Amino acid sequence: MMDVTLPPRLKRIGNKLNGPNTLGNSRAFWAAFAVGMIVMVAYPLVRGSYAAGQFSLFLAYGLLALSLSLIWGYTGILSFGQVAFFGISGYTYAIVSLNLGGPLGQTVALPVAIAAATLSAFVLGYFMFYGGVQDVYVAILTLVVTLVLETFMAQTAGSEWSIGTVALGGFNGIPGIRNFALGVEGASISLSGSGFYWFVLGILLLAYLGARVLVNSKYGYALVAIREDAERTAMLGYNVKRVKLAVFTLSGALAGLGGVLYATWGNYMDPSVFSLVFATIPIVWVTLGGRESLLGAIVGTVIIERLRLWFSVNASEFAIVFVGVILMTTVLLVPRGILPGIKDSYVFFSKHGIRDGLERGRATIQTRIRAWLESLGVGQSDTETPPSSEVVRE
Amino acid sequence: MSDNHVSRRSVLATGAAGVGAALAGCSGGGGGGDSGSDTIKIGVLEDRSGNFSLVGTPKWRASKLAIEEINDNGGIMGQQIELFDPDPQSDNQRYQQLTERLIQQEDVDALWAGYSSATREAIRPIIDREDQLYFYTTQYEGGVADKNVFCMGSTARQQLGSVVPYMIENFGTDIYTIAADYNFGQLSADWVKVIAQENGASVNNEEFIPLSNQNFGSTISNIQEADPDFVMAILVGNNHSSFWNQRTSAGLDIPMGTSTVMAQSYQHKRLEAPALADVYGGFNYMEEIPTDRNEDYVSRYYDRFPDAGYANQESVNNYFSMYMYKDAVEAAGTTDQQAVREELEGGMEVTGDQSPEGDISLQGPVHHMTHNMRVMKCDADHNITVEDERMIPEQFLSETVGIDLSGEDSELERQFTPTEYYDAAGE
Amino acid sequence: MTSGLGATGLLTPLFIGDVLGGLDSIGVPVTQLLQMADSIAFIILAAIGLTVIFGMMGVINLAHGEFIMMGAYITTLSVNVVGLPLPVAMILGALGTAAFGAIIERTIVRRLYGRLLDSMIVTFGLGLILTQGTRIIFGNSLQSIGTPFGNVPGYTYSAYRVLLLFAAIAVLGGAYLVFTRTEFGIQARATIQDAETARTMGVDTDRMYTVTFAIGSGLAGLTGALYAPSATIVPGMGQSFLVESFVTVVTGGSTVLLGTTLAGGVLGTIDAIFSNLYGNFIGQIALLITAIIVIRLLPDGLTGLAHTIRDKLGERQ
Repeated sequence: MMDVTLPPRLKRIGNKLNGPNTLGNSRAFWAAFAVGMIVMVAYPLVRGSYAAGQFSLFLAYGLLALSLSLIWGYTGILSFGQVAFFGISGYTYAIVSLNLGGPLGQTVALPVAIAAATLSAFVLGYFMFYGGVQDVYVAILTLVVTLVLETFMAQTAGSEWSIGTVALGGFNGIPGIRNFALGVEGASISLSGSGFYWFVLGILLLAYLGARVLVNSKYGYALVAIREDAERTAMLGYNVKRVKLAVFTLSGALAGLGGVLYATWGNYMDPSVFSLVFATIPIVWVTLGGRESLLGAIVGTVIIERLRLWFSVNASEFAIVFVGVILMTTVLLVPRGILPGIKDSYVFFSKHGIRDGLERGRATIQTRIRAWLESLGVGQSDTETPPSSEVVRE
Repeated sequence: MSDNHVSRRSVLATGAAGVGAALAGCSGGGGGGDSGSDTIKIGVLEDRSGNFSLVGTPKWRASKLAIEEINDNGGIMGQQIELFDPDPQSDNQRYQQLTERLIQQEDVDALWAGYSSATREAIRPIIDREDQLYFYTTQYEGGVADKNVFCMGSTARQQLGSVVPYMIENFGTDIYTIAADYNFGQLSADWVKVIAQENGASVNNEEFIPLSNQNFGSTISNIQEADPDFVMAILVGNNHSSFWNQRTSAGLDIPMGTSTVMAQSYQHKRLEAPALADVYGGFNYMEEIPTDRNEDYVSRYYDRFPDAGYANQESVNNYFSMYMYKDAVEAAGTTDQQAVREELEGGMEVTGDQSPEGDISLQGPVHHMTHNMRVMKCDADHNITVEDERMIPEQFLSETVGIDLSGEDSELERQFTPTEYYDAAGE
Repeated sequence: MTSGLGATGLLTPLFIGDVLGGLDSIGVPVTQLLQMADSIAFIILAAIGLTVIFGMMGVINLAHGEFIMMGAYITTLSVNVVGLPLPVAMILGALGTAAFGAIIERTIVRRLYGRLLDSMIVTFGLGLILTQGTRIIFGNSLQSIGTPFGNVPGYTYSAYRVLLLFAAIAVLGGAYLVFTRTEFGIQARATIQDAETARTMGVDTDRMYTVTFAIGSGLAGLTGALYAPSATIVPGMGQSFLVESFVTVVTGGSTVLLGTTLAGGVLGTIDAIFSNLYGNFIGQIALLITAIIVIRLLPDGLTGLAHTIRDKLGERQ
């Protein structure tokens, strides 16, 4: 797996990182990963502090995607509620840090905010999993809870909705959240631009590696077993409810961490983090990146968010249409997601060689297109006639 | 449409140059004035998709119209205006990203952005961090005293100060307020109470409607039961537009005052008559104002945008403020943002064809406009008539709070609310 | 605009007015009842297309709101541009959306059976395209058509909104008959229960899926058509039906039509009572909290409860 010349201790860690539940375990994967990390670390030096600041938002979203990948990709529980924990944490951070003030206040606010998200996830998870709520009903219930939060937060405009000195602000949200800072008065660091970027990148890297260790542990096998067949897993002696609750709570904490970074990135929290669109977008990231791939979830997030921003700058009112088209075509053409798709084609080509692989690939695509056209009722011709003339003949 | 094409290409070119600059390690100092370039860069972020596109699109169109007119007439100090206008899609996160981008990457000299107060609040931290000259052109709840923000729209106090006294005089003193359940609605309802008290009337019922609500059955029954002299309907957004059809088909014929309906999203054009019968609004502008100057503006607007649905109140604010910025830059002799701000703070007159609503002026020390406020009535055939007209200055910041952004308060970045200053508002 | 409905419109209000007046005189809170009818109708109609597609086919259609929007747009445009009478325009709205649904099933949804979550994402993408495409083609709003019938005689309440309850009941009844009493309905349910067996028995299962999806889409379109006269016609209008429809699906449970009926009744009543007493915001919150409680206590929804009661009664006999 990992380089055999590594000292035993590193090798042990390497063994923990690798396993059947992650897609990339080969030396080639880790080499590519290292190159990718170097590029990411160098990014602010090349593109400047502003670009890095913009990018750090995508990385904060990456934590949200990672949390969804764990709960959905690995455990098979689709949750629209990750943004709820993300938002609860962001709001809590805003309330606590603005009330206490100063870098110490911000330092205190960080664990409090994550604890609030974790606790909310625990309560909701206990309620659902011990209440026998299953499958698609979990999805809809988490969606409903998120939308309730949106409705609730949007009407907190009045002065009676204040916690300490901080008004919840209703639809207008809470402005004036400080940049991320840790420490006490006089000995603190405050992060913005490139500094914030590197910090978020580091957090995301740790979270990613931690999640890898988790899914490749015995515990991770239990998660996958639950995804594949919860009943059988229960019969094998696993406490399915408890495992589900634990991973749901953990994913709530991860989403909460993302929420704090998000709040400090924009210096602002408002109820749109609980909106339907924002609740759906993480599912899109994870699906596109590859839901059974932790790295895929993060890559999917960055690709989609960059594209959305690019479209809104360059395609004006057609931006949303393009996003819709991309979603539909990706799910239809690369059903397992982008990263697993890349891995599949890598495996395919290394097995068949480039030329033979291309030939086979062409044949496969032709067969697929023909099958698709047939399913449309366009006709079942074996000739190479282009589809348009088929339509005419009909 | 052909110059649209050209401008897009030039935008792309400059965008590419911006990327190049960023690549070279120049992160953009933000707020930096004239960098020796031969164009003046203006950012306009107005929604052309999403929830607010109905009101955002006319704002974008009017900005574009003003910029094209200025460029056709030789630009500002001989320099052409270069427009950056990505679509923020009614999404506050998108607004934050694009605001950063326009300031840092495109280095815009002035920024126009946003419809809702939530959007303004979302980008204001960025605006203040970068000291970016920013024009906010929507009518709003009022009270923003921020060194970098110039509020071009009429405030709730100006709008309600025009229509509420008119309604009291003509219909009576028993008021029923229904308002959108968010910041703007709640603060507007507060202002109704304050103004009612000043005019010897009282708000005896108050109901807040969630923005997502579109079934008004219970609201309509409640109003009928209370049987007030008139209703103040401060309803906002697409869902709330359903109120008017439902009111009419339910046979509720109590006169209604408003500060939000018609002038922004032209319900009187979109709903079948007589849905808006007997609705009175306090506005600084509607397309139907019967002056030569306005009719001329409206025909310019539709010549340029034949598919446009309406020239709304906000769009005119975008239009005149672009000219006001031009005047300020020319008076200051530079696009340096601090210099332009100081020029604006000295007060500006907006006159002639540049201001379709009539001659108005900028109250420099508070960064707000004295508007030509009209009470506009919609009849059963949805014809609009002007019932009352007078100049109303911004009063809350200038008189009640006592702000001077050009002097002692020149570093202020906050929003004041009426609850802090009026007993009647807090109840 | 109300030409086609005028004749019935003249007769019914008189009759209704008498009945309501009588009820009011013996102390029945008529206004609250009217509002309840309004709420129940809204919830049932908001959900019906979604529940048919979800219950029969296991596909969650996140473009449900956009299908409703499409029905409303076809109806409004038929009246405003073509000048068709309102009832004809409404039928056209339902049929047009059904046809669109059939096309979508054939080209896209078909490939996603058994991939529930993928179908959610694809339909979410479809919803984005439909909303924004509509905005690009037809602009930010359409001129709305007026609400027919005026008020309930003697009450400040839109008669049309109340009559929608009867429309909702008719829609439920019609769907019930189609799925239980027709050859198609039996074949469709057979397909959904066990496609393999159905196919061996000569059922064209592909056609069954297409038609079922088309019916679900058509029902969504009909909802849009029915609400076109009293709603604001904008591209994003479908969103406002979404929460109610999802809440109804989870509250109703697995048996489609029974579930929708029960959930519509319960949720509509709760919504009406709470909005009346505490305002619209509390009404909405009450609705959502009810749904959460129902799911917690009855994982199979209200139909699960109904089945349990039926089984218990059966045992006793």
